[in-house]
Amino acid sequence: MNKHDLDPITVEIIRNGVLAVTEEMKTNLMRTAYNLIIYEALDFTVGLFTAKGETVSIGLGLPMFIRGMAETVKAMIARYGLDNIEPGDILVTNDAYITGSHLNHMTFALPVFHNRELIAFTCCMAHWIDVGGTIGGATTDIYSEGLQVPILKYRKAGVVNQDLLDIIGINVRIPERALGDLRAQITAVTTGERRFLELVNRYGKDNVLGSIAVIMDHSEAVARAGTRSIPDGIYTAESFMDDDGLDIGRRIPIQVKVEVRGEEMTVDLSEVSRQVRGYFNSGVTTGHACAQVAYKCLTTPTDYPVNDGAFRSLKAIVPMGRVISAERPAPMRWWMTFPMTVIDTVFKALADAIPERVIAGHHADLCLGTFHGISPFDGRFFIGSSGPLGGGWGAKHNEDGVSATVCINDGDTHNGPTEQLEAKYPLLVEQVALRPDSGGAGKQRGGLGTEVIIQALGGMGVDTYIDRVHCKPWGLHGGHDGLGNGVELKLGKDWNAGLPNGKALSVRLKPGDALKLQAGGGGGFGDPKERDPSKVAHDVTEGYVTPQAAREHYGVALDAAGAVDVAATKTLRTKKIQAAE
Amino acid sequence: MSSVQTREAKRPLRLAVDIGGTFTDVAAFDESGDRLLFGKSLSTNATQLVEGIQHAVDGAGASFRDAYLFLHGSTVAINTLLERTGAKTALLVTRGFRDIYEIGRVNRPDAYNLFFGKHEPLVKRSFRFEVHERLRADGAVHLPLDEDQVRALAREIKTRDVEAVAILLLHSYRNPAHEQRVKEIVQEEMPDAFVSASHELSQEYREFERASTVAANAYIGPRVGTYLRQIEEHLAQRDFTGTFYAVQSTGGLFPVAHAREHCVRMLESGPAAGVIGTQAICEQLGLRDAIAFDMGGTTAKAGVIADGRPLTTGAALIGGYERALPIQISMMDIFEVGTGGGSIARVMEGNSLRVGPHSAGSLPGPACYGRGGTEPTVTDANLLLGRLDPDHFLGGEMKLDHAAAERAMRERVAAPLGLDAVQAAEGIIRIAITAMAHAVKGVTTERGLDAGSFAMVVYGGAGPLHASAIARELGIKRVLVPFSPGHFSAYGMLFGDLRYDYVRSCFEKLATAPFDQFEGIYRELEQQGRAAVASSEVHPEEIHVTRYADMRYVGQEHAVTVELPLALFAAQDRAGIKEQFDALHLTRYGTSAPKEPAEMVSLRATVTGLMRKPPRQALAKGDTVPVAGALQRRKDVFFRDTGGFVATPVYTRTALLAGNQIAGPALIEEHASTTVLAPTDELTVDPFGNLDIAIGGRK
Repeated sequence: MNKHDLDPITVEIIRNGVLAVTEEMKTNLMRTAYNLIIYEALDFTVGLFTAKGETVSIGLGLPMFIRGMAETVKAMIARYGLDNIEPGDILVTNDAYITGSHLNHMTFALPVFHNRELIAFTCCMAHWIDVGGTIGGATTDIYSEGLQVPILKYRKAGVVNQDLLDIIGINVRIPERALGDLRAQITAVTTGERRFLELVNRYGKDNVLGSIAVIMDHSEAVARAGTRSIPDGIYTAESFMDDDGLDIGRRIPIQVKVEVRGEEMTVDLSEVSRQVRGYFNSGVTTGHACAQVAYKCLTTPTDYPVNDGAFRSLKAIVPMGRVISAERPAPMRWWMTFPMTVIDTVFKALADAIPERVIAGHHADLCLGTFHGISPFDGRFFIGSSGPLGGGWGAKHNEDGVSATVCINDGDTHNGPTEQLEAKYPLLVEQVALRPDSGGAGKQRGGLGTEVIIQALGGMGVDTYIDRVHCKPWGLHGGHDGLGNGVELKLGKDWNAGLPNGKALSVRLKPGDALKLQAGGGGGFGDPKERDPSKVAHDVTEGYVTPQAAREHYGVALDAAGAVDVAATKTLRTKKIQAAE
Repeated sequence: MSSVQTREAKRPLRLAVDIGGTFTDVAAFDESGDRLLFGKSLSTNATQLVEGIQHAVDGAGASFRDAYLFLHGSTVAINTLLERTGAKTALLVTRGFRDIYEIGRVNRPDAYNLFFGKHEPLVKRSFRFEVHERLRADGAVHLPLDEDQVRALAREIKTRDVEAVAILLLHSYRNPAHEQRVKEIVQEEMPDAFVSASHELSQEYREFERASTVAANAYIGPRVGTYLRQIEEHLAQRDFTGTFYAVQSTGGLFPVAHAREHCVRMLESGPAAGVIGTQAICEQLGLRDAIAFDMGGTTAKAGVIADGRPLTTGAALIGGYERALPIQISMMDIFEVGTGGGSIARVMEGNSLRVGPHSAGSLPGPACYGRGGTEPTVTDANLLLGRLDPDHFLGGEMKLDHAAAERAMRERVAAPLGLDAVQAAEGIIRIAITAMAHAVKGVTTERGLDAGSFAMVVYGGAGPLHASAIARELGIKRVLVPFSPGHFSAYGMLFGDLRYDYVRSCFEKLATAPFDQFEGIYRELEQQGRAAVASSEVHPEEIHVTRYADMRYVGQEHAVTVELPLALFAAQDRAGIKEQFDALHLTRYGTSAPKEPAEMVSLRATVTGLMRKPPRQALAKGDTVPVAGALQRRKDVFFRDTGGFVATPVYTRTALLAGNQIAGPALIEEHASTTVLAPTDELTVDPFGNLDIAIGGRK
């Protein structure tokens, strides 16, 4: 059927239908998964793809994985050829240079057949807690990061590849967890298959596939309209990463160029740093994902399902060999950190062109610690993470930044409850708190970052891979920077604030030692002297801003009761303006 | 018991009042004459709710003087929460954790929207205070409670006009001693304050969710308390000498004294009562499985009865996923979508048509209400398709403006899409149907239940209009429209039982779980429940105890709630319990791992005091053909399957008798609702007055 023959009613029904397919895949994966990173942190993504591997609908998950599965499905098609993919197959890989991310992202795809015709793929990526390789510390090539599974058939015509399971079983540290997560992923892709076929049987294959084509055209139209309203021009911005974890203190430059012409945008990432020796590289798929995430945020932020139509008017230039298009054997274990800053830098580039649509910088890091050891409670090996910290998001032209929220790599990602962390691991969380004054001052204030202090109750190894300690979340249009991310250790009695960056590698904690993790605050937007003094007073009352910062950054003086001292504020602000002139 | 019977003989009325968003509904059962009475009034502003109750009771022809039981569900709790009109509240938390209520779970579901938001705490940061104490995960004291510090804090808080205090201490689900002591001290220092500790509501881990639950309870406590007191005063003035029970979100009843302390258990009382009403119908008809489907002006809700019992859940998110406040208590498991009669249809960029979630509400309301609404709604679409009658809406009390509906439909939807008004109307209904079918799937297929094998009980003003189409969408073969579907939540309350739910987190592997210790925990929980039930004025006929465990495979996080038959538990039959868990996991998620070890996360006990039920309501028997006066007229109604308008008979529901049969297409009109019978559907009026519809005919 020609897609133009479809009535808008059918299309809307199919739109809801494909959204429901990926929603249910997500629900079933979450509910049956074994590791905390999947079930609490939601470090996974499920999706429905056309027979060519184009994205029809993605169930989040990880927003940064917007490209990873589509490219993986396409690579699978290329590897086997459509003629050699048959009913009952399930394909798998964790090839980092295909998925664009780390080896933990085991990705399964199931070809969906209708009357022996391949009509779609369902796909599920999920983060396995361990895939072997070096535990903790630094990695310097992909081989030290764990087991690599090239594109293979996990199931061929209904028969499971036991050899593959045996290879996985002997390579990972907690095989029962890995295989439990594998089962959850199979549940997800088979759920997607069942529900999509129900849709096809209910509405007819041609109606469903035709509607999918129309839905993609809709998204394209919305994206083009969103681009057309951006003034034509070439926009650039730069930022940097603290270091690559090996060459400590050597900054990694991030430069982006955005060109808008009519209803098309080009995001040129040629000037992003070359790939690095440390473990912060990602594959070219992720370079493209950077451009797509930024583009979607700016043009079709609430258009669902997330599909490839929304990116037809986007061109990304991502030459190979960059830190976001790294080539074998570059290490990729902490792949997700740098791309977030690339996205924020795109918003920065467009700050003058579309101030009402961009956002100031955010903490742009998961800000988590990983730990492993033998539990003194049950004598068993454990490996886990503190879960992502909420950080401050940037302010916008019309509102303050949101406090204590996950970075842009993550979406519906949850932190781990302290009561759960302490029940599972030999840890005692001493504090979970907002960081006053961490949000950048501005007419609109940046959101506040948070801080956690975790005490070890037994001996254990700890690692942190946190960046953006030195490159602080930037303000826009006169707004101040927020506080950066941070890591501190208490070994023995005293806190040692001497880390040169946020990377504490292979640190050994004894009982009573502690780790402090800090997520930065968002950048401010606009001149802080223009902030409504009553809002500043409110922030001071609530403890988001200290009285000193109110004076210094905002030029607002408060009386003993915490109310605005109007006369003193006027004097302060006048002085500040004169000083600036 | 005898005194109760005497009293009931003198005061034969069981009176239920449900205050919903738009209407206050009354259902009463007169035990002297085996009669059901119904009444309805508009729920106006909050201060006049009590008057609304009186109006509706008068309208039903009932009086408080004759009632021995007053059952009440209300939106007062949920509205106080959603409208943020609660008390000035302080939150006391473990030292180091002042900000957990604001930080929350840090998720960002609206993932690409830079203008996203997150939940807003009910308690401002400047009213959150830290208590010097700390327990460990096993309940051991890590840092003793500093009572002097708590007392000093309470004195300070008192100076700040705080009306309510919520207490959340880490690991109180394991050891409530510190929370209990903090509550005592606060009550000593602030005797007038509403004080609530988290373990009283939930003994389940997850500190943010528990904080949110106890903060919500404290926040709404004073206002709900005042409201309940006003009703009590009104009842006393009207010579009511019976017992006042409130309806919980589980559909269970509890004495008003408990409702005052645990207000947060009343959040979803109305919707839950509808599911209880569905369960009552199932019992009447001998059905094991049914969907409870409720459609009103702004939303549609689906609940489910599986194997004779309503499905419940241990937590819910209140107020839209992105900004939701979690409430971690037992509730009816209800899936809601933003599709109702007032849902607005809009053409979006790229010519895609969306229905809802925006609603025209009652002002301006649908275009056909003639109150200034210019956007077409689901109700307008039904009018244009002939399913609603402009002259017979609400029994003819309210005229509908057909021309206004048509104009709105043509200008806003039909013309932009190149359709005519009827095509557009039919499309809007189809989209609304798929959205509502999604809600039904949410409680059935997504829980591993086969919707097609369930009957669907349909109520709410707009439910019966759409039931046949929803059933077709899901392969449901049987639809039941109860008597007076517009009053169904109040009706359901008449069938409620006293109910107390308890939960305690435990974290033990099944293979080595200390069953003797578990037995002790269950007994303790059950004892609390038995004592609560025993303290009730009306003595139930029987007390039922049900034990459940939240179980998962070792290493999983999310658990499923498994019912533990007492015999299995007493025999410490670990293999038998494991089999139950494996089977349920397979049903819910399509996989299980019988070889993998399982663990128990939380123990749950439900204590139910079974109340005597109203006897079956029988409808006078008639012939297979309705009496002559039942057929009112014929009107043109659009049906997609026949490709256009068909002259369709319109029956008056009140004239139908048991045993009457009607073949579709037909409309059955009653005061606040219209049932649509599609071509090939076959309807029989059952002995209890339900419209029993065979979708697509009896095979």
